[in-house]
Amino acid sequence: MIPVGFDYVRPSTVEDAVAVLAADPDAKVIAGGQSLLPVLRLRLAAPTTLVDLRDVESLHGVRVAGDELVIGAMTTHDEILHDQRVAEHAPLLAAATATVGDRQVRHLGTFGGSLSHADPAGDLPAAACALAATMVAVGPNGRREIAADDFFVDYLTTTMAPDEILVEVRVGDTAGWGFRYEKFNRMAQAWAIVSVAALVRRAGGGVTDTRVALGNMARRPVRARAVEQAFTGTGGDIGAVTAAAGHADEGTDPPSDVNGAADYRAHLSRVLTRRALVAAVGA
Amino acid sequence: MELTNTFTVPAPVDEAWARLLDLPAVAPCLPGATLTDSDGDSFTGTVKVKLGPISLTYKGSGRIAERDDAAHRVVVEASGRETRGPGTATATITATLVPDGDGTRVDVVTDLTVTGRPAQFGRSMLADVSARLLDQFAACVADQLRPAPAAATTTDPGHGTDTVGAVVADAGPGAASTAAPATQHVPDEAAPIDLFEVTGARQLVRRAIPYVAAFAVGALVAAAVARLRRRDRAT
Repeated sequence: MIPVGFDYVRPSTVEDAVAVLAADPDAKVIAGGQSLLPVLRLRLAAPTTLVDLRDVESLHGVRVAGDELVIGAMTTHDEILHDQRVAEHAPLLAAATATVGDRQVRHLGTFGGSLSHADPAGDLPAAACALAATMVAVGPNGRREIAADDFFVDYLTTTMAPDEILVEVRVGDTAGWGFRYEKFNRMAQAWAIVSVAALVRRAGGGVTDTRVALGNMARRPVRARAVEQAFTGTGGDIGAVTAAAGHADEGTDPPSDVNGAADYRAHLSRVLTRRALVAAVGA
Repeated sequence: MELTNTFTVPAPVDEAWARLLDLPAVAPCLPGATLTDSDGDSFTGTVKVKLGPISLTYKGSGRIAERDDAAHRVVVEASGRETRGPGTATATITATLVPDGDGTRVDVVTDLTVTGRPAQFGRSMLADVSARLLDQFAACVADQLRPAPAAATTTDPGHGTDTVGAVVADAGPGAASTAAPATQHVPDEAAPIDLFEVTGARQLVRRAIPYVAAFAVGALVAAAVARLRRRDRAT
């Protein structure tokens, strides 16, 4: 359980970090290390250099810019959990973050690290999709913004190049929206067998906007577009919830593993979506 | 542990049979792999699997244990060992070719035995990795067969593009050129399909290996992870 030897650098700017990555294809970024360290200790990877981002000040913290919340990639789960601006403007994110790992993991693990890891069973990728977050990555060719739907490409794979670093995540204001993060697992602190992140906006008694994202129902987090379409424009009553939730597994490709077969997950996604919508719409 | 995968190639069964058993020719179709030696029915090679935080290199060998030209059925035994760790894997791969319209359906059953270690992932890698490897392999082989080499009969040059064209298109220049039907030697720097080309991770080793061995190794990594998760839970 001892990693293969590696060099360790702790740059203080994003540019320096990118330069190290660009110069060495076997260098690897480490954020909170909650996924990478076990992989190293198990010798499932042997990077030449670890680029620790903890000293890059600009990557830490939450701020408000216009009508957006800007969350630094190195902000820990615990910081997000206790941030008043997150609670106010993106309560869904706080709800999802509260279910990540255990207390120790949440004190070390980071928002950006979890998103970059891109495990489709993770809590935050699904939440980021439901929030329609914008990822901001910096590489040798500069800065670019990536919509959450385009960011997650496949299992453990994002659209970022190996020499790009996720620096911040921008989240639109969803204050006033109904929200719910439903996570189903067999044990406390386990990964989601299926999860559902739901946001519902109501006005004048009707549902004017719906966003639903599913975790672990495909090789990447996916939006349940059919549910969103079916629910938006309805009165938000329990009949509409049930009808919309019935579309949850449309277009998904759930895995079969020790935690459940694909058809079980398909069923579970409909059940959890119904619960999430009930809670989010206040039906 | 047993894995089952199926893919189709746009060529008659006899042609597909000959091609799939031509290891040096099909080897470049398996991503991350290098064929170091190939001698008739046996071969040695390495494969590098890179996915997310994981990066593993396996070294192994294999041989064709059974070959039934009439039934178009081949059994390959392969084994590999991690170059930087204690993990090992052995696999018995049975491939059966069945005519399917104008093309050929290939059913692959892989029986894996893996030793290795746990990892912490929310989703088992097994199905995803093996399916991706085989998808890429099938697309590449289909592309090789499409130009209809010498013995081709009525292969429709466009057949199969709907299913595999999109993947092949991302393979980058040179991917199809490795398909020269008469290839007898293992290219030093083959340009096979990069498993992760479509996903944007372009820093991978792009070499070749007999598809069976590489498939086995890729799948075994997945199996290792799956098994480890189970062991994790037990502790």
